[in-house]
Amino acid sequence: MSIADRIRRNPLYSLKMHAAAIATGLRYLFAKPRMTVRYPEYVIDLGRNYRGMIRLHKDKCISCSLCAQVCPASAMKMYKLPGEKKMYPGINYQRCIFCGFCVDICPVNALEHTPVHDIAEEDMEGMIYLPLPGRFDREWKSPAEEEGGRKVKVEFDEEEGLKHEPE
Amino acid sequence: MLGPLDPLINFILEPYFFSPFIYPGLTIGLVVLLTLIWAERKMAAKVQLRYGPLYVSKQIGGALQMIADALRFFFQEPIIPRQVDKIVFLATPALALTVTVLPFIFIPAAPSYVGVAVSYSLPLVLALGALIPVVIILMAWGANNKFTLVGGIREAFMTVGYEVALFISAFAAALYYKTLDLSVMVEKQASLGLPGIIINPIAGFVFFVAMLMASSKLPFDIVEGEQEIVAGPFTEYSGILYGLVMGASYLYLYVLMLVFVEMFLSGWLPVIHGLGSIYPALGGVMLFVKTYILLLFAVFLRGVYGRYRLDQALSLGWRRLVPLSLIAALWSFGLLIAGV
Amino acid sequence: MTSQGSRSSETDMGYGPGTIKEPGFRYRPMGRDAEGMELYEIFIGPQHPASGHMRIVVRLDGDIIVNADPDIGYVHRTMEKLSETREYLKSIPLFERATIIDSANITWPYVRAVEQMLGVEAPLRAKYLRTLLAEINRISSHLYGFGLTGIFINHSTMYMWSFGDREIWVQLAEELTGARLTHTYIIPGGVRRDLPQGFKEKALKAIRYMERRLEDYMKIFVYNPVTVARFREVGVLTKNDASRLGIVGPNLRASGVHYDARIAEKYGAYPELDFEIPVMEEGDSLARLLVRIEEIKQSMRIIKQVLDKMPQGPFFADKYMRLIPPALRKHVAETGRIKLPGAFIRLKPPAGEAVARGEMGHGEVFYHIVSTGDTKPYRVRIITPAFRNVVLFRHLTRGARFMDLPVIYGSIDYFPPEGDR
Ligand code: SF4
Ligand code: SF4
Repeated sequence: MSIADRIRRNPLYSLKMHAAAIATGLRYLFAKPRMTVRYPEYVIDLGRNYRGMIRLHKDKCISCSLCAQVCPASAMKMYKLPGEKKMYPGINYQRCIFCGFCVDICPVNALEHTPVHDIAEEDMEGMIYLPLPGRFDREWKSPAEEEGGRKVKVEFDEEEGLKHEPE
Repeated sequence: MLGPLDPLINFILEPYFFSPFIYPGLTIGLVVLLTLIWAERKMAAKVQLRYGPLYVSKQIGGALQMIADALRFFFQEPIIPRQVDKIVFLATPALALTVTVLPFIFIPAAPSYVGVAVSYSLPLVLALGALIPVVIILMAWGANNKFTLVGGIREAFMTVGYEVALFISAFAAALYYKTLDLSVMVEKQASLGLPGIIINPIAGFVFFVAMLMASSKLPFDIVEGEQEIVAGPFTEYSGILYGLVMGASYLYLYVLMLVFVEMFLSGWLPVIHGLGSIYPALGGVMLFVKTYILLLFAVFLRGVYGRYRLDQALSLGWRRLVPLSLIAALWSFGLLIAGV
Repeated sequence: MTSQGSRSSETDMGYGPGTIKEPGFRYRPMGRDAEGMELYEIFIGPQHPASGHMRIVVRLDGDIIVNADPDIGYVHRTMEKLSETREYLKSIPLFERATIIDSANITWPYVRAVEQMLGVEAPLRAKYLRTLLAEINRISSHLYGFGLTGIFINHSTMYMWSFGDREIWVQLAEELTGARLTHTYIIPGGVRRDLPQGFKEKALKAIRYMERRLEDYMKIFVYNPVTVARFREVGVLTKNDASRLGIVGPNLRASGVHYDARIAEKYGAYPELDFEIPVMEEGDSLARLLVRIEEIKQSMRIIKQVLDKMPQGPFFADKYMRLIPPALRKHVAETGRIKLPGAFIRLKPPAGEAVARGEMGHGEVFYHIVSTGDTKPYRVRIITPAFRNVVLFRHLTRGARFMDLPVIYGSIDYFPPEGDR
């Protein structure tokens, strides 16, 4: 007879399973670990592998426009800014889905991912990053970290699953 | 020497005022309500490896969260939908709360310290509690919404499911004490030197489970069944009206828990005998501590259980709890005959 | 099986949608059945705590469900049509969004169909990497379903636990691909990133943690007497009905049918791996839960084997690697990250058709691609497992109690965005 049927047929066994459930609950009530990362105070270090906000190295870019062509969300577009001869890509974060195709296709590695994703803008225009100094080529930093949040590293642990240790 | 405030203090300390309004009545009831909901959320969070309420008053673990929530309830617009029966809709939350706090008058808080001393306090408390479902059904009907109607019907079903077992198990215990007065019951337990739960464990168990059903705590929160009927009878309520009906179920649990402690856990008597006679007010504190610990356990079950189905809860009530409570009555009877 | 289909059969049964239009009876709309008996009609969703992105129209006779009608389409995003307007590569992130919790599994058969047409095959190492991510996704998809099943009977601990533990698998996938959910990892010709350093140790730790946690799941949820009472013998799907209705995935296997696209189609690294397809005979909601638990265990077994047997070699087809300049090829070898050739934007399969299927967490997904030799497909047909399983709402709820509805919903693990596409 399966365990489920024993629970249904045998009231004593059912009481035992009730007790097991309550005991498990009590064990966790007094155990230490928590999964929550208290975000603005602690910021997870996403590591170099993360596909976050994208950064342009304008000096490397050869204006081949492959990145704009591959973008599945039409977030990347080529812009010709006044006073410049060549076109350079700009990104619209209203549309970007962080697929990273643009980074992968750039033949000269002029685009790179940064491990930052928690950015908010005040208006819609602010989400469009043109290839201007201080915009698309900007060194990203998590705003939570800038305001004093501590960086935590994610570690795998047999007992607690994910551990978040301050660096 | 008589200070100017002494008459007032004396008045406040008179049982007929103190009992219903201060302890165990409204004031402490409100404190229990606020801290218990907070503790429930905190404990569930701990079992679930989270923090629970935290950012309102971070130093004390978010304990002021409930006050913030209560304030929010006060300032939220209570929406009165067009299809409701207005008078019933507005009156029933207040009525539910009134019926819930009435029993405090009859619950003794310490030796011979009770709002209105009657020798039938146990049936009185239970009977007043049995009025709550009537108010809830009225509420469900008045709100005139499909979900509230289903919720009202569920409430009606649940009431017949637990009320019988609750009454029989209470009377089974009372049978052995040969009284229906809660104060006398505690004294009986004192003279026996044993808590009621050891004398009649079956009655205690049945009463506890029926109590969870009565206050619709998990695994019996069938009436509010969020996943099917949104919030049951309370679906249309918002703002302070919702706050009232939500608070009422916790207060009722508190009322029943006080009765449980007095019937089965020797009420205000300390676990170790003889301590109680030193200072009578200590009894009240003991009663409160026991009640509160059990309340914590009852709300902790939220972290362990899901919800029973309506017919399963009913069959639990009728097929398991009622027979068990009858056995408990026989047990008491047997003890009496055996002269133990 | 479509929503229109269910409408028409509804009138066949005699339960037409109806509102009593008598004066003074404004607020109690009820339906009537063929004999004129009043049925209580309840609309669950789309604005409801437990409906998801859909609506279920329930007709009740007392507490018994006479008929429950899934009303789908609230999150229909015209994916099939959209894919006709974009190049083959660009459809991958699109299809991912059908089942965002299981994105590797839903795009893999699409990529395989495109590869068939292009005549390329992924190198062996890429196949192993794809299998690895697919199994990680399968576990997190099952955990997601588990959490929702828990909250459907108000078991908030199961809900929080499985969403919390899912984080570990999401984290593993992130270390492999760089994104938490929308990995876009599997592309024609291979995968986008190589296995990172130290991945194996992390995965083994996660597996050992999960094995221990599953025991606690059993105690607090699966074999909790309340759960057993709610799930056992509720929503029983017989073996016959399961195959007749075309049910797929764990729902099918819980009814005793031994079928899994991973075995049937022999794709990826599966033919070389040793694993079992859990099957149960009961066909009730509890069996569907238990099959998923067992599948999580099997997936962890697969992950262990994949990491042990992972072959050396390239992770991207040579045919495309040759298209990129040598400097970039060196870059790929050093960083373990792909560099796409420019020609990749406009992949041009010859005119023809291809089909492929794959096993997702929810069941079998099927793709049929028609190409006219253009850079964009002429037609892409996707049949997702949720779409096949949606019929169960109607089939399993008939005669069940009203409170069984969330249990059945949870146990069939229906995911509305996937059904609607
Ligand atoms: S990450 Fe993807 S969506 Fe965003 S700009 Fe690059 S290609 Fe476009
Ligand atoms: S692909 Fe790279 S080099 Fe070409 S335009 Fe974009 S950023 Fe510039």
